[in-house]
Amino acid sequence: MAKQALEGINVADFSWFAAGPIAAQAMATHGATVVRVESESHMDGLRGVGPFPTGKTGHNVSGYYNNYNANKLNLTLNLNLDKGKEMALRLIKWADVFITNITPRVIERWGLTYDDLKAQREDIIAVYQPMQGFDGPHRDFLGFGAVLGPITGINHLTGFPNRAPAGLGTNYPDYVVNPMHTLTAVMAALHYRHLTGKGQRIELSQLESVVASLAPAVMDYMANGRIAERAGNRLPHAAPHGAFPCQTIKVATPFGEADEQRWCVIACFSDEQWQTLKGALGNPDWADARFDTLAGRKDHEDELEAKVGEWTLPQFPEDVMEKLQAAGVPAAVVQNSRDLLDDDPHIKERGYYQYLDHAEAGRTAYDGPGFRLSKTPAEYRTPACMLGEHNQQVCKDILDLSSEEIADLMVEQVLF
Amino acid sequence: MADGPAALDGVRVLDLTCEMGSYCTKLLADLGADVIKVEPPGGDPARNIGPFVADQPGPDAALTFLNQNTSKRGITLDLDDEADRDKFRKLVPDADIVVADLPPGRLSALGLGYEALTKLREDIIVTSITGFGLTGPHKDYLAPDIVGVAMGGIMWLAGDLEDPPNLPFGHQGYFSACAQAAAGTTMALYHRDMTGEGQLVEVSMQEALMIAQETAMQAYDLTKAVRGRAGARGALPISIPGIGPYEANDGWIWGYVGTPGGAPWSELLQFMVDEGMAEDLTEEPYKDVIDQLNLRFLTGLAINAEEREKHTPTLQHINEVFTRFCSAKSKWDLYENGQKRRILIGIVSTPEDLAKNPQLEARAWYQDVGGVRYPGPPYRLSETPWQIERPPPKVGEHNAEVIG
Repeated sequence: MAKQALEGINVADFSWFAAGPIAAQAMATHGATVVRVESESHMDGLRGVGPFPTGKTGHNVSGYYNNYNANKLNLTLNLNLDKGKEMALRLIKWADVFITNITPRVIERWGLTYDDLKAQREDIIAVYQPMQGFDGPHRDFLGFGAVLGPITGINHLTGFPNRAPAGLGTNYPDYVVNPMHTLTAVMAALHYRHLTGKGQRIELSQLESVVASLAPAVMDYMANGRIAERAGNRLPHAAPHGAFPCQTIKVATPFGEADEQRWCVIACFSDEQWQTLKGALGNPDWADARFDTLAGRKDHEDELEAKVGEWTLPQFPEDVMEKLQAAGVPAAVVQNSRDLLDDDPHIKERGYYQYLDHAEAGRTAYDGPGFRLSKTPAEYRTPACMLGEHNQQVCKDILDLSSEEIADLMVEQVLF
Repeated sequence: MADGPAALDGVRVLDLTCEMGSYCTKLLADLGADVIKVEPPGGDPARNIGPFVADQPGPDAALTFLNQNTSKRGITLDLDDEADRDKFRKLVPDADIVVADLPPGRLSALGLGYEALTKLREDIIVTSITGFGLTGPHKDYLAPDIVGVAMGGIMWLAGDLEDPPNLPFGHQGYFSACAQAAAGTTMALYHRDMTGEGQLVEVSMQEALMIAQETAMQAYDLTKAVRGRAGARGALPISIPGIGPYEANDGWIWGYVGTPGGAPWSELLQFMVDEGMAEDLTEEPYKDVIDQLNLRFLTGLAINAEEREKHTPTLQHINEVFTRFCSAKSKWDLYENGQKRRILIGIVSTPEDLAKNPQLEARAWYQDVGGVRYPGPPYRLSETPWQIERPPPKVGEHNAEVIG
């Protein structure tokens, strides 16, 4: 069995919430040794946010936190004490990669700037994920995901034009765009260090990282002065292109049985796909020559969507998907978390979800890898780290402290 | 243009991607890799997707295409033609990485699958970006972006319950798959650095997106509750003053007031007092509720229906006064002056707001290349800066220098 890709790489993870921890977890599941640094007074906010396993409470059982912190060691350090800062710098000496998404102000207060780190470890790769950058007039503006998303423009552009700009219903940039941009930069820097021996500082402004992924709309304004508006589920170069209602089903919920409206998506990018869809609809009378061209379908898109919706309404979305995909028309189930965890046969066969036994949370699911390396696949070995769980192990094996020194740190509430 | 070193200097990439996968190779190219984009004769079909520069369709004017193909060289080959496939094979021994977004099995059918490529270059890294990955019952499904975001679970969460699920703007399925693919590809490159071993990097758009369901997966795993669409409320059970979208006199802002990290609601009240628009919120019962309007209080309301009912009229009134305050001010005023008080308020940026954003301007983020203004770096590397080394290639622009 090949070594994992990042075996031998040490990561000091001073990040919190999602954008940093997810990037660090991807390193941890590919073999890096990751030490997650928190403290009782400055613990990851996600520890206090649900969902929690039914009937369980405490800092170590949040599903939100746990999903991003498998395979990590946890060290609690009080960075407001000089001795805590000293231990942090000791950890930096050990680290190949340092990562944080803490604000520039706090970075400076805690003495964790690139210059501070470089003094400890010349070739360190130091990763900062500020909201908007370490300079500029909005440097100290605040923005967790919920506020960052709107600032990046994705809320203005997503959804139906008659609704408020509600966005994606999640702190979307936190989960893929920012952590995977970050990981790409880290890996490029590790490659460069391998060739030259040089480390470097990486700054990922979360605003810049996300706007980079909304390019066409911004470029359209800069090139043509056009301010794109919310267009619902439509695209200029496809029709139909949207979500259509399917049969309502009965589902079990924690509050008893309930109705669930099901949905499918259908998209035609060519006249050929439309003709195939028309055939699947049974060549109805309404589907006349007006709909033969993209321009015609765009002109009558309201009617087109209403008619397609009448056809899907009595059906199960799984049947619509299978029927249309077999015929050559893009279609899919709008899946929810139950579909993905319990029912999607493709996800099951590919074994995407990982299940780990956690001392307090029990056996729970973790998102699997977002990319698969054929010879050095991700491994989910240990469940999410609990607060301070590895203090002694990290102090002894990584910071090389004696039992007496560790005891002092505990008594002085440095390991806290 | 290139003065300093780039992180991926000397890394050669053969790029068999079109609309779905070309952001992945853009990321590699802007980090310094020599990316050779292989287009079918006539060019990448994405050259026909609008919007266009000056609204004039043309192969070198499609904004999506332009953005996703910076810093690359371009050649044309007809991979259905054996002679052209041979030309492609001749490039493989000098290549480090091949990235493709072709349907599963297509490369193998052309005799250019992973195994075949390793015969031409043993330590080659091959990255495959597809809708559903290379195995499994759905692997051959047609997978435009909307299929990925539907099957990956994020569309279910977007929008108002009264509407159909919303399509996330901007091909987020493609982008997520490409960001995952770039991370996986550079990780495979590092592994090759250390061991001399190449490998296959496989990305499924569906899997690339699934972690972006936020807490929906865990909510079902831990409590069997299916998180649904809640529009502006997000995951909260009721409307909370200061949280979500509010209409300013010229657009929208988004509040997240009272959550950790930002100033407490009392600071927002002070903002409204200073502007003479607090109305009766400094009086009881409003003042008392405002003083405790934090995440703990809200969590209490979420789990206790009785408390919720008790406080609802008070919260509604606070919300109405705040709504009036917002509607009297501009979005930039609320955003910048709110943030100066450390109140968690964001502007709901339009493309115009982004183009004129003073922060992006101060950091000289946008890049002018070949008469087109592009989004700038997603990350800044101090030793090996990101840069657009050249404008996107014209169709077959580098045929002569690459394949002779």
